[in-house]
Amino acid sequence: MFDTPGIAEAMQSYVLETAPVLALRLDANQRVTAANAQARQILRSGAVGRPLAEQIVDFTHSFELSALINQGSTAVHRLTLSTASGMPETLCFRFFPLPDGTLALGSLDLKEQQQLRDEVLGLNRELNDLSRLLHQANAELRELNQVKNRFIGMAAHDLRKPVGVIMTYSEFVLDEAGDRLDDEQRGFLRTSLAAAVGMKRLIDNFLDVSVIESGQLRVERSRTDVGQIVEGVLPLVRLLAARKKIELHTEAGDDNRPLLVDVAKLQQVLGNLLGNAIEHSKPGQRVWLTAHRDDAELVFSVRDQGPGIAPEDQTKLFAPFARAGTRKTAGERSVGLGLAIARLVVAAHGGRLWVESVPGLGSTFFVSLPIAPGGDHA
Amino acid sequence: MSQVFSSEDVYRRYLDGLLSNNRQQCRECFEQWLAADAELGTLYENLVQRSLYEVGDLWERGRISVATEHLATAINESLLNLTYPRLFAQARIGKTAVIASTANEYHQLGAKMVADIFELHGWRGYFLGANTPLRDLLDLIREKGPDAVALSLTVYFNLDSLLQTAVAIRSEFPTVPILVGGQAFRWGGRDRVEGLPEVRCLASLSDLEAWLKDERNHV
Ligand code: B12
Repeated sequence: MFDTPGIAEAMQSYVLETAPVLALRLDANQRVTAANAQARQILRSGAVGRPLAEQIVDFTHSFELSALINQGSTAVHRLTLSTASGMPETLCFRFFPLPDGTLALGSLDLKEQQQLRDEVLGLNRELNDLSRLLHQANAELRELNQVKNRFIGMAAHDLRKPVGVIMTYSEFVLDEAGDRLDDEQRGFLRTSLAAAVGMKRLIDNFLDVSVIESGQLRVERSRTDVGQIVEGVLPLVRLLAARKKIELHTEAGDDNRPLLVDVAKLQQVLGNLLGNAIEHSKPGQRVWLTAHRDDAELVFSVRDQGPGIAPEDQTKLFAPFARAGTRKTAGERSVGLGLAIARLVVAAHGGRLWVESVPGLGSTFFVSLPIAPGGDHA
Repeated sequence: MSQVFSSEDVYRRYLDGLLSNNRQQCRECFEQWLAADAELGTLYENLVQRSLYEVGDLWERGRISVATEHLATAINESLLNLTYPRLFAQARIGKTAVIASTANEYHQLGAKMVADIFELHGWRGYFLGANTPLRDLLDLIREKGPDAVALSLTVYFNLDSLLQTAVAIRSEFPTVPILVGGQAFRWGGRDRVEGLPEVRCLASLSDLEAWLKDERNHV
């Protein structure tokens, strides 16, 4: 069928100029002496004139081109060539003997290419579908997290009132009828009162977290100064310090340059840091509250002489419900929300909260608030 | 910002990118269209669907290779990822839909867009992908208890398989609305599916959006 005159010439011109087939003429030393258009495009420049074996990627180190050629023209050999693109390419070769050398013809395995393409497209589709699922799952989780925050907020809100009632009435009974009770009964009442106070603090923390996490934390700035802030904080912790016989020192009280911050929230942060410092100190030790202000920032620091915090725990400290390896000295309990809240409040002011500590030598917590060029803004 | 957004120009550049395997150019156009804050439904119909229909025509007329057609689809499908942050951030209305291309149907982009339109309207649109076996589809419907099921059909010869699927869903779930659509119905078949109880054939994404708005008014 294909022996009609003209066919051989047509095939030759097609193979040499157009076909996606590599045609290489090799001399007796298997050096490439001529290459068709496709081969010149695919092989590295300078391929013609060099031995074919040099262009074959061989991992066995025992590659013998002549052994393959000697197997005759019916054998098909899978060979990998290094190409101009820098990527190796695997081709199926047949070697045809010539009087003065060899004709090498190679082509891509079309079936394999098809399989590969289908595989890649299938993978792409799966990946896209998975990515959709992932986005969807993320949205669902965000939704659930909001539900959780709303729930915590609602529960905390509803618990606040009855706890307040317990506190008020215990105080009331202690005040009004305390002298009609014996010591033991008064002790019971005081214990319930203390438990209620602790519970109220916990509930307030939950409420703060739910407000902050739902993105509803509002910073309400008002004009104040360092002196005012410190003055408001001390009463919150003085009793605690006195009870544990901790000496409280402040070096901050006389700065009355104007400042624009959320006073109540900042006092809550400093109160929390001071409370922590006291709770981690032993009777007789000291706690310092200092404030230092320059043109760019205001830095509060709270320093204690407690056991300090191991470096690996210092980063965990600020995560909600974190239980860093620190131990309060009188068995005080907490759920680990205070620092998480403090950090969020400080961040809402555009500031930073961090700790420096050497185990055995105490810890210092820093709150830095930026001062706007205007002078008073934090 | 001052540059006027011309959807026709962007479309031309997009198609050009698809046909020359230029993913980056396509991405730029897609982002430009997204940033112009168009309705996603319009973007789906006037950029993605239109370009793929044109790619299909060119392929049918032998003007482009299968490889180019495949890559054009892959590019389109991966660019849909860019809409997800907007899509899934919509407020939820507490309704769910299950969406699939039925067994033997390998075209999935239309169905995915339908799932996305559900998301856009506050539904959860669970999408099962191409060639979904009937068993898997029924399993998911049992698991999610959806407020609607949507089926997409592209190849007309798969109509019988779609009908079987609809019948199977109907017999196990007597009331869930079944919506069907896709380009197969350009060749007919609408009356055959709508012969089943509570099965609606919708012609386009806009029809689906109208249905969703209607549904919202009913509750
Ligand atoms: C990409 C493609 C493929 C890819 C699909 C990959 C994938 N990930 O989806 C692959 C390679 C798998 C493929 C295979 C085949 N394809 Co094809 N393919 C296409 C092409 C180019 C694009 C399809 C597409 O994504 N379109 C874009 C989407 C968004 O459009 P859509 O599906 O119509 O969806 C829109 C609406 O219809 C509507 N919609 C869709 N479903 C629903 C459902 C509801 C409820 C609602 C409300 C709306 C709705 O919303 C969408 C957005 O507007 C089309 C060309 C074309 N005209 O579409 C050919 C085309 C669909 N394929 C065609 C053919 C013939 C085939 C094959 C049979 C080829 C073959 N011989 O192997 C096989 C079929 C295999 C099978 N059993 O399914 C023909 C179909 C002819 C016909 N009417 O039957 C087309 C039209 C090409 C052509 N011009 O000939 N194909």
